[in-house]
Amino acid sequence: MTSTDLPVRTAPTPQTLPPIRELRVRRAARRGQTNLTLGNSRLTRVLALAALTVMAVVWLLPMAWALLTAFKSEADASSPTHWFWPQGGFTLDGFRTVWERGDLPLWMLNSLFISTAVTVITVLVSAMAGYAFSRTRFAGRRWLFLLTVAAVLVPPQILIVPWFRQMLTLNLLDTYAAVILPQTVAPVMVFILKKHFDSLPHELEEAARIDGAGHWRIFWSVLLPLSRPMLAAVAIFVFIGAWNNFLWPFVSTSDPTLMTLPVGITSVKDAYGIQYAQTMASAVLAALPLVVVFMFFQRHIVKSVATTGLGGQ
Amino acid sequence: MTGMPPPVGPPRLTRRRALTGALASGAALLGAGALSGCGSAQAADASTVRLWDLFSGADGGLLNDMVRAAGPDMPGTTIERTVLEWGPPYYTKLAMASAGGRGPDVAVAHMSRLAGYAPTGLVDPWDLDVLAEYGIGPADFADTLWSRAQHRGRTYAIPLDTHPFIVFFHPEPTAEAGLLTKDGTLDAEAFSSPDRFLAAGRELAKASGKHGIAFGYVNDPAQGWRLFYGLYRQTGGTLHLPEGGPAEVDEDRMAEVIAFMAKLTDGRVNSKRLDYYSGIASFANRQAAMTLSGEWELGTFRAADKNVGAAPFPTVFGTPAVYADSHSFVLPHRPDPDPERRRRTHRAVAALLKAGQIWATAGHIPAYGPVTRTRAYARLQPQVHYAGAQDHVVLDPSVWFAGSGSDFQTAMSQVLQQALLDGLAPDRAARAMVRRLNTFLSKPSPA
Amino acid sequence: MSSPHASPHASPRPGAPSVRRSVPPGLLFALPFLILFAMFLLWPLGQGLWMSLTDTSLSVHDPAFIGVDNFTEALQDTEMWRSLGHTVWFTLISTVPLVGVALGLALLVHTGLPGQWVWRLAFFAPYLLPVGVVSLLWLWLYQPDLGLYNHLLGSLGLDQVGWLSDESVAMWAIALTTLWWTVGFNFLLYLAALQSIPDHLYEASAIDGAGAWRRLWSITLPQLSRITVVITVLQILASLKVFDQVYLLTKGGPNGSTRPVVEYIYDVGFTGYRLGYASAISYVFFTLVLVASATQYAALRRREK
Repeated sequence: MTSTDLPVRTAPTPQTLPPIRELRVRRAARRGQTNLTLGNSRLTRVLALAALTVMAVVWLLPMAWALLTAFKSEADASSPTHWFWPQGGFTLDGFRTVWERGDLPLWMLNSLFISTAVTVITVLVSAMAGYAFSRTRFAGRRWLFLLTVAAVLVPPQILIVPWFRQMLTLNLLDTYAAVILPQTVAPVMVFILKKHFDSLPHELEEAARIDGAGHWRIFWSVLLPLSRPMLAAVAIFVFIGAWNNFLWPFVSTSDPTLMTLPVGITSVKDAYGIQYAQTMASAVLAALPLVVVFMFFQRHIVKSVATTGLGGQ
Repeated sequence: MTGMPPPVGPPRLTRRRALTGALASGAALLGAGALSGCGSAQAADASTVRLWDLFSGADGGLLNDMVRAAGPDMPGTTIERTVLEWGPPYYTKLAMASAGGRGPDVAVAHMSRLAGYAPTGLVDPWDLDVLAEYGIGPADFADTLWSRAQHRGRTYAIPLDTHPFIVFFHPEPTAEAGLLTKDGTLDAEAFSSPDRFLAAGRELAKASGKHGIAFGYVNDPAQGWRLFYGLYRQTGGTLHLPEGGPAEVDEDRMAEVIAFMAKLTDGRVNSKRLDYYSGIASFANRQAAMTLSGEWELGTFRAADKNVGAAPFPTVFGTPAVYADSHSFVLPHRPDPDPERRRRTHRAVAALLKAGQIWATAGHIPAYGPVTRTRAYARLQPQVHYAGAQDHVVLDPSVWFAGSGSDFQTAMSQVLQQALLDGLAPDRAARAMVRRLNTFLSKPSPA
Repeated sequence: MSSPHASPHASPRPGAPSVRRSVPPGLLFALPFLILFAMFLLWPLGQGLWMSLTDTSLSVHDPAFIGVDNFTEALQDTEMWRSLGHTVWFTLISTVPLVGVALGLALLVHTGLPGQWVWRLAFFAPYLLPVGVVSLLWLWLYQPDLGLYNHLLGSLGLDQVGWLSDESVAMWAIALTTLWWTVGFNFLLYLAALQSIPDHLYEASAIDGAGAWRRLWSITLPQLSRITVVITVLQILASLKVFDQVYLLTKGGPNGSTRPVVEYIYDVGFTGYRLGYASAISYVFFTLVLVASATQYAALRRREK
């Protein structure tokens, strides 16, 4: 689904939206006066607040229920009568058992390593290609760029079978390389970054050129520093996508020591059967990294989605 | 479910091993080794045997016990278990790992699935000479099982157990219904024809005060087929499945069996709409006096009734036949197996087989003969009452698409559900099953 | 990697108005991407097409060329059509709420009610959960005897629902999970769009004395129509690719009633060993995605005019 796809999106259209401005919590909004302000009707405001509260409760309930279960004992978690509040009080047993089993921390490390590798490779390679398509000329450039843009239409889901076969041929199945490499091809990021470079003024690099700078220095020391916000947005988006990607990591690994978090917690079972408190404890632990990151970097993540989520439209 | 963690740490992935594996592979990726394909298999400890299985719950705990009991028989070797989800996910992963050549050292697979693994080259043959060194030979196993393990003159599976589809009963209501013999075993005579079977169900319902015989099958991928195929083979009917089709079957006998199954679950004396878990629950909480189920539920039932009785599936249609399958050990394919690792694996499997007494407590019939001939086994109640089922076991037809956890069983069970639940006429259900069979046969075999 | 300093063409040309004169290093810059692109997109795309014309299987045996047999089989394969139907049905019942609810939430939050941080966290946080976590969570919520939802229904005196075991409910349950999980994404896109509506439009209406509802209907919603089309298009394409949550929640069951086409590809290829046939179905599905994209593109173009 949306979040786990490589961000393959629809065909970019030549007509683009007015550039979306940075999503900001404006001062006006804090005062309750946006351009959509509800006016002075107290009733409307109360109704809106009530609707929003109900929705938020509905949305937070699953997570609250998971947390509640995770802190119960197994007996309380599967008690049909005292299903809400635990009779035996709260316990950390579920977390302890899950953590001590050792595979969850390992899957976290795997996810961290794989997502970081995918992000670094994708951002670097896409930025270089975006630069090439935006700022340089060479034979076949237009044609190659068109090919890249067209490739945005290819859903990665149709490639899992050939990818699997390819990894079989390369003798790479059940290696990190097999998980990482196919995820690094992100035509849409090349497209976004190309358009971004197009939008940067030429004056600075011309000055650098006069100083004798070559392409690499212009790219690395002039354009990339200028592009930090954009690169951050792309990197965050790629990282979230890789962190949450399921289908390909699921297909390309069967060795439990190589699995990523989403694959491991759903594929490997406990020898002692379904234990709900433990299952929820592992779900909570698995959810934690990105949710914590979100709390700290909310503004950046929100901005990343807003600028990158439309696939350059 | 046992739910109790063992005092000794379970032989799972240890953290140290896992982390070294991860770091080693990570280093391999970052270094020049990235594309040469260093996986974690190479990083595994030199003394471990990696085992994949699909046992969780009570069985999972017992296998841990077995691994511990087998320890003295394989000094210096540790078995690391990975438990994967039962059914298609397990077999899919096993096939994919085997195709990739970096699978586990040994895996548990149902004997009924072997036809999809041996001819396709996804599993490697066992070395009988090495097994003989550790005291395991063909003579230790029932012929029916051992012959299923063969492909082109080589042995591809070492059976761990036989797990038949049997009947469980609560002794009190069953005795009240007059269906027990003097020595307390089930009176098989009282179930020896479709009519008698149904009559016995009515008596059991009276005795239990609610339902007679519980059979949970709704939306289950296998239960319908398990009951059907055992009964069909009791009629003397055969299922011949030549490659490319069409299937050669006896549709009349199929319809007869389906009609019987429909009466058994018509909702009068027995519940009509039970899924697997409600079937178990209905027997465990004594709403029903008897249930048709796999012996693997023994642990669950004994927790509810410590005197729970069991018997081989009665011969309803004349010819003794009991539907069963066998958990067995297979060697996932390796392009260049390390002889030392393979030897260690053979020894570990031999050691596990000899610890079969523990496995028997779960209800399974150990396949390794010497275990079932011990006095300790003879004392296991009610296991010893259905151990005889071993003589008449019927496994799924030996074709690549059949077997436990296969789409084939799901497809057959779906048609049967339509007959049992939605009133599809038996003869039409039989025809629908044959049509589905022919669809499977028309697909090219991967072998 | 490229070392542009070594390039003779990189020499500066004082007075030249543009840097675009220097030529070949560009290819070097594009090369890392192009290599990955060729290796892991073009090659698999071609190999998939080739495999769809063979009987390649997971077994060790060599594949044989069988022409278009796989495609003729696919066109007559009722299971494939059924799974395509499920995919389309899921797309329909997930896209409508995913766009509608996202819009509603964004409008409510944008009114500037207190607690902005909480609202955004509540609606967007699920999107950050890996699908593995989402599925474990909802399997537990939907658990028939012990799950939260059946407990809640029970305390209201209602019957239990077989959320994932009842054929008529399961797909809706999956769509509900998907809504909870991913609505935050569209919600943020809407929020961003709302904030980029120029203030002067509202200022003008304020002078006219238009009420809140008037402003909503005559300014806000029309201003959002373009982004709504884009979000809908993106959502349709994302929903067509559904696999993860269905596989993890129901494995396509009960009785295959929720299996989407991507899972059918997986089942045929890996569970059934038939990589060749699975490739053929992949291409059938690809065609569907292309047709959907083309239709939407055409619609979008017409709107622009």
